[in-house]
Amino acid sequence: MDYEEAKEKIISTLSKKKGKTKFYFNDLAKILEAKPRDAKKIVNRLVQEEVLEFWSSGSTSMYGLKGAGKQAAAEEGD
Amino acid sequence: MPKHETPMLDQLESGPWPSFVSDIKQEAESRAKNERNIEYQIPQDVCEDILGVLELSYKHKRTHWKHGGIVGVFGYGGGVIGRYCDQPEMFPGVAHFHTLRVNQPGGKFYTTEYLRQLCDLWEFRGSGITNMHGSTGDIVFLGTTTPQLEEIFYEMTHKLNQDLGGSGSNLRTPSDCVGEARCEFACYDTQALCYDLTMTYQDELHRPAFPYKFKFKFDGCPNCCVASIARADMSFIGTWRDDIRIDQEAVQAYIGGELAPNAGAHKGRDWGKFDIQKEVIDLCPTQCMWMEGKELKIDNKECNRCMHCINVMPRALRIGNDRGLSILVGAKAPILDGAQMGSMLVPFIKAEAPYDEIKEIIEKIWDWWMEEGKNRERLGELMKRQGFQKLLEVTELKPDPRMVQEPRSNPYIFWKEEEVEGGWDRDINEFRKYHQR
Amino acid sequence: MAFISSGYNPDKPLEDRITDIGPRKYDEFYPPVIAKNKGKWLYHEILEPGVYVHVSETGDEVYTVRVGGARLMSVTHIREICDIADQYCDGYVRFTTRNNIEFMVDKKEKVKPLVDDLMSRKFPAGSYKFPVGGTGAGITNIVHTQGWIHCHTPATDASGPVKATMDVLFDDFRDMRLPAHLRVSLACCLNMCGAVHCSDIAILGYHRKPPMLDHEYLDKMCEIPLAIAACPTAAIKPAKVELPDGKKVNSVAVNNDRCMFCGNCYTMCPSMPLADDVGDGIVIMAGGKVSNRLSAPKFSKVVVAFIPNEPPRWPQTTATIKKIVEVYAKDAKKYERLGEWAERIGWERFFEKCELEFTHHLIDDFRDPAYFTWRQTTQFKF
Repeated sequence: MDYEEAKEKIISTLSKKKGKTKFYFNDLAKILEAKPRDAKKIVNRLVQEEVLEFWSSGSTSMYGLKGAGKQAAAEEGD
Repeated sequence: MPKHETPMLDQLESGPWPSFVSDIKQEAESRAKNERNIEYQIPQDVCEDILGVLELSYKHKRTHWKHGGIVGVFGYGGGVIGRYCDQPEMFPGVAHFHTLRVNQPGGKFYTTEYLRQLCDLWEFRGSGITNMHGSTGDIVFLGTTTPQLEEIFYEMTHKLNQDLGGSGSNLRTPSDCVGEARCEFACYDTQALCYDLTMTYQDELHRPAFPYKFKFKFDGCPNCCVASIARADMSFIGTWRDDIRIDQEAVQAYIGGELAPNAGAHKGRDWGKFDIQKEVIDLCPTQCMWMEGKELKIDNKECNRCMHCINVMPRALRIGNDRGLSILVGAKAPILDGAQMGSMLVPFIKAEAPYDEIKEIIEKIWDWWMEEGKNRERLGELMKRQGFQKLLEVTELKPDPRMVQEPRSNPYIFWKEEEVEGGWDRDINEFRKYHQR
Repeated sequence: MAFISSGYNPDKPLEDRITDIGPRKYDEFYPPVIAKNKGKWLYHEILEPGVYVHVSETGDEVYTVRVGGARLMSVTHIREICDIADQYCDGYVRFTTRNNIEFMVDKKEKVKPLVDDLMSRKFPAGSYKFPVGGTGAGITNIVHTQGWIHCHTPATDASGPVKATMDVLFDDFRDMRLPAHLRVSLACCLNMCGAVHCSDIAILGYHRKPPMLDHEYLDKMCEIPLAIAACPTAAIKPAKVELPDGKKVNSVAVNNDRCMFCGNCYTMCPSMPLADDVGDGIVIMAGGKVSNRLSAPKFSKVVVAFIPNEPPRWPQTTATIKKIVEVYAKDAKKYERLGEWAERIGWERFFEKCELEFTHHLIDDFRDPAYFTWRQTTQFKF
């Protein structure tokens, strides 16, 4: 899958999920149907291009579309 | 007059142990005076508010912090922990109070020049309060605002040649013991291996793609001063496989009382005259030592390198010369299935740069864990779920009795078809020729 | 307070960006005597509590003076450390894994002035800034976590109980009278971001009440699927809830009997706080170790299921710890770690000698490992 196609796939799949805006890396790898190491290259680039952003619980990390989600609003709002 | 009354915290200023309350107060005072004319980038009275909110927690017996997940520096998924105060009106100085983890140098050696640079940066752009060091090993900068995060990162990388540490589902900042730098027990250069792997795996450290956290820790010998065996997904523990070196004259000096046993560690009490039979030979877990006249003998083949005799008589006994390390995998603190200790995977491997053999094992383990690990599953839990045999399969290592405490005590072996002669496809009609229905 | 730019351009975050450079390399920071003698050390000796010498095959010696530090440390304090290191140690210093600070000098005659200076420095209210000690068969610094100073899920404070405990154990920081060294650790909740599970004595913060549910706000502030997924025991499920005003909202329900009080849901969902003044407190664990010396590494065992939080000085917690230390000091054989001693005399005797009550909470009922802690023999002591 080339990068643009992968990007499209990530954006469209993630925006369709209702009530959920944060995803584990493995969820993204599954969407991309790629091995973790290959998926990582795509995901890293999506972060660089500000399509995706990180969310961290401190112990665990997740990914979401930039600006999406309830906590994003809360954290930037206060 | 302090900004907030802190009667309970004030009680922690007495007593002999260094008082963190006194220290935060001195920082508050230093910021209030600002003798160096610093253009503080976060509120000048931040330390007063730290004490204020902590006093409130002492009153309520509950924390007043909230977690924040989005803050970080661009492109990195770790190194910053978001923190907000749940009483921002009362304590505006700490309303936003994020933590940065800064990757500590190996062995935690510092020049004062460098420490002062860190202090200057953190006083200017943060609270001036740190942890030296956090549990994983990082230098921890405690408390700054969101806009300062990128500024700090920029100054750190451009001026201090210094990067952040790990957090989240990353390789966490590796940490090591003092090792060969100042310890005669070190069986390999812990700092060299720690640094090499830290640099090799920078991408894994900053950009999370693991199911959960992953820790490397490096202990130079089985004394395990950095506790790698208890808390690292992969622990690298120094060991040797030839003979303990013996200086018979020094043995006699211990027996004669000229040298203090245990390197003087028991000086605080009169334990009586040193008795090599009782204190060393009889305590040896493998009973592989004895005296022959005035000579101490060790049957090295039977030694399990517990370090006791060497710890007791460091001037007489020294680690062997054929050194390397053992790799244990799967340790973790509690949750989910309870705590796990590291399990022996590689009994002995040489630790010589460029460490290709070690890296090969690491990467095979990561490939397996990244593919098979469930979200938030540590390596040790995956090992329990899929079995040690699976771990051997993915690492292509040969089974060895040194890997286990004892062989299995049940015979329920899941034989694979290819392991059984003729396979599992059989002809029922052929069978029936000899066995009636 | 004018904003001063570092040079970073927020509109172009990738411009001049430097990443993946790692830590500073260790050997930049070695004192000359360390750089010269690395890998050549012959032996060491503890000369007095907190002071030891390492001797190299080159004939060089390095004298180390170890002092305790509250790991929570201000830049003013660090600068004082730097001043001392500049004056006595040619500008080098190191920290240990257990938050001690080590000053190194290359000649014996430099030791005493350094020790005297360190011990003379006190905070205005009287505590030592740099107490010398923490070596050998004594008690060294407590490793710990953040607690109420900075964490969102702690069940107790960290720096406060550590200060109170070290005040009580201070004589053993300055001495080496114990049968072996004794390691104390503190983690402020069961997630143990500071691992305490293999310590001679562990102080562990523990919640005992399941999270409260802020139904009105929960769906507004949290992503419900994440809160559900955060639970390690699958105790959370989605629920429709009717608010007092009759409005129906999406929220969650918690199966309280399955809750193990970890706070992971609260991390994902701020509308599920679990901290409680009465519910939270301290668990005392004992008998763990990480060293392979004599016996294999061991986990710590729960010996007191709950002690309430008693700020500012946690007197019941510190008294319990002091009692265990004193009984161990008196009863154990030379070289025996606390856990080895408890195993030799038997845990039934440990509880008797330490005058600790054995309650049903101390019998393991958590998953598979529990069985292996029950007694499968007729050998026990009356």
